[in-house]
Amino acid sequence: MAGNFWQSSHHQQWILDKTDLIRDRQHDLSILSDEEYQKIFNFFASIIQVLGEQLKLRQQVIATATVYFKRFYARNSLKCIDPLLLAPTCVFLASKVEEFGVISNSRLITTCQTVIKNKFGYAYGQQEFPYRTNHILECEFYLLENLDCCLIVYQPYRPLLLFVQDIGQEDQLLTYAWRIVNDSLRTDVSLLYPPYQIAIAALHIACVMLGKENQKSWFAELNVDMDKIQEIVRSIINLYEMWKSYDEKKEIQGLLAKMPKPKPAPQR
Amino acid sequence: MGDNFQNNKTMAPVMMDYDFKVKTQNERSKVEDLFDFEGCKVGRGTYGHVYKARRKDGSDTKDYALKQIEGTGLSMSACREIALLRELKHPNVINLIRVFLSHTDRKVWLLFDYAEHDLWHIIKFHRAAKANKKSVMVPKGMVKSLLYQILDGIHYLHSNWVLHRDLKPANILVMGEGPERGRVKIADMGFARLFNAPLKPLADLDPVVVTFWYRAPELLLGARHYTKAIDIWAIGCIFAELLTSEPIFHCRQEDIKTSNPYHHDQLDRIFNVMGFPQEKDWEDIRKMPEHATLVKDFKRSNYQNCSLSKYMDRHKIKPDSKAFSLLQRLLLMDPNKRITSEQAMQDPYFTEDPPTTPDVFAGCPIPYPKREFLTDDDQEDKSDSKARQNQQQQQQQPNTQQNQVQANSHDHGANNAKRMRMAGPNQGNNNTTGGQQEFHQQQQMMFGGQQQGGNSQQQGNFQQRY
Ligand SMILES: Nc1ncnc2c1ncn2[C@@H]1O[C@H](COP(=O)(O)OP(=O)(O)O)[C@@H](O)[C@H]1O
Ligand SMILES: [Mg+2]
Repeated sequence: MAGNFWQSSHHQQWILDKTDLIRDRQHDLSILSDEEYQKIFNFFASIIQVLGEQLKLRQQVIATATVYFKRFYARNSLKCIDPLLLAPTCVFLASKVEEFGVISNSRLITTCQTVIKNKFGYAYGQQEFPYRTNHILECEFYLLENLDCCLIVYQPYRPLLLFVQDIGQEDQLLTYAWRIVNDSLRTDVSLLYPPYQIAIAALHIACVMLGKENQKSWFAELNVDMDKIQEIVRSIINLYEMWKSYDEKKEIQGLLAKMPKPKPAPQR
Repeated sequence: MGDNFQNNKTMAPVMMDYDFKVKTQNERSKVEDLFDFEGCKVGRGTYGHVYKARRKDGSDTKDYALKQIEGTGLSMSACREIALLRELKHPNVINLIRVFLSHTDRKVWLLFDYAEHDLWHIIKFHRAAKANKKSVMVPKGMVKSLLYQILDGIHYLHSNWVLHRDLKPANILVMGEGPERGRVKIADMGFARLFNAPLKPLADLDPVVVTFWYRAPELLLGARHYTKAIDIWAIGCIFAELLTSEPIFHCRQEDIKTSNPYHHDQLDRIFNVMGFPQEKDWEDIRKMPEHATLVKDFKRSNYQNCSLSKYMDRHKIKPDSKAFSLLQRLLLMDPNKRITSEQAMQDPYFTEDPPTTPDVFAGCPIPYPKREFLTDDDQEDKSDSKARQNQQQQQQQPNTQQNQVQANSHDHGANNAKRMRMAGPNQGNNNTTGGQQEFHQQQQMMFGGQQQGGNSQQQGNFQQRY
């Protein structure tokens, strides 16, 4: 669907309004601060990223899985479904949609187990990955429903490649901007702005980082709303600021403990 | 701090919030609560069962098609079909109205507009008429209008980076009586895929997809990647079949899907019609993975007297006609030389008389029978009683068409199904126009311009649309 973002469900249904987003998060934000909330998403985005890499998925697929994850919780509290279950479910669904070839159920579960144990032990301690295939499959139906069957997600990578080509720049700019796009998945920008704007914002940051002031004219000639680009830039820069003083390994257990959790059926 | 996890270690985790589960359960509507379709199976393909359905609440009396996806859960092909159809909107591409997920039996249902006809049945009808030396009264421009709308739909798909990959008469639907009378709807996107970024060589994913008769020569010679040109070849085959009522590359069918794309008999059939390709006509043929096998298995001299013009001439299509010249451009052996859907739509064939019409039947009476209901032998009890009930209903209907069931030589998968004619469910009318209007408003909300706001209340919700 690369040719048709403007008619896509992504554009028509999933570019959310910031005030709506904040309102829909009210329940979670009565328990967690904005920053804590973001740190929790940052953590699960890492889980999705590492899972995807272990499964040898392309970055595009990983990004799609991350957006599914964010979209689900844009409409639901963190307590509705345990994010530790939703994260691999998003990876599973995205890999089918992006047609990577089916990941076998057993391979998915084994990968979750090893990833949680070897890479995220600092968060889960001795606790093993607690879910099995049937949990993922059940969760997948809920995910699809909550996504309103919108499975095709546009990502900033393709427009980014086109822009870099247009600027006629060397690989370094692309490498930087590409990483910034990856980082942007840890903010809300994929819920709030169209992917081409995120690509431009990432390029903007990359140019500043590389001291390429001479690209100013290229940005000036773009026919885009520079206020929006600035908003995206600010979100990403805020993320980098947050990272400077954040030690996930120390804080995450506390955050996960504080996170709202699913409640079981009432006992009789 | 880590207490929480320590405690959980021995307990099964709570994966889902109870209130959330109950709330979504209550909001979710079940397909069998909303639609009547029992005993009304009209189609069975490889990937699903299709039923003719009516709304139970009578808020409209339209027919719908409900496709139950084979197997349980979200297969890869179900994912593809949902993902793509959710985005696509074109008058000549079937419209996915809604998806039902049945959590209890893990079945996936897709709701579509009902298309009374398809090219497989239409061509079958023409063949039978020809065999009985009866002529069928169809508008002169029907074939042309059909082809034009197929091209229009495929052009839309191709310009959105979607390849269909399984074009054949059974997947080209045509709307019956109603507001969209005589409009082509391209269906069955189970194999379709985005082609802008192949992640793996396509042939690795589904060993063999397109039905042999409509499969382009490069696929038969082991081409690893699907292209737009492969869809165009299939359209050429369908065009020829519409003109002659015979599948142009008819070949003994094999039931089993082989993982080997090379298919000797099918290639032989193609060469028998088209002649053996000259080096100059298809330079890259030497680069095809199965070229060596081709050289070993085939002798050019066996096809010396074969050509598309001779074949079509035998079927009363003159080599100097505009129809023939367009056909030839669609059925070029070299995929790089085959024309695009856009070029095809510009062909002079479409500007000469008779003109194309949005209703392919051009307002004339539709001679083709309505879809028959199928019953599985293994489901006899249930569907038979329903069938009898329906037959009784039908006998009370004065205007039922009399249609004999024709034996067919190339059945598309309904071999062990008994076919019979009967009326649809809820045939007794309960007309309410209000519901329909509301539907249109809702649709506009769904697809009309930009959505304001991101909250679920404001948004046209696909699942809750009905
Ligand atoms: N919207 C529809 N209206 C009426 N009949 C349909 C519709 N969709 C499919 N069918 C019938 O069911 C058959 C199988 O549906 P299809 O979508 O092609 O599934 P499959 O992937 O199993 O081939 C079609 O060939 C056609 O006869
Ligand atoms: Mg089909």
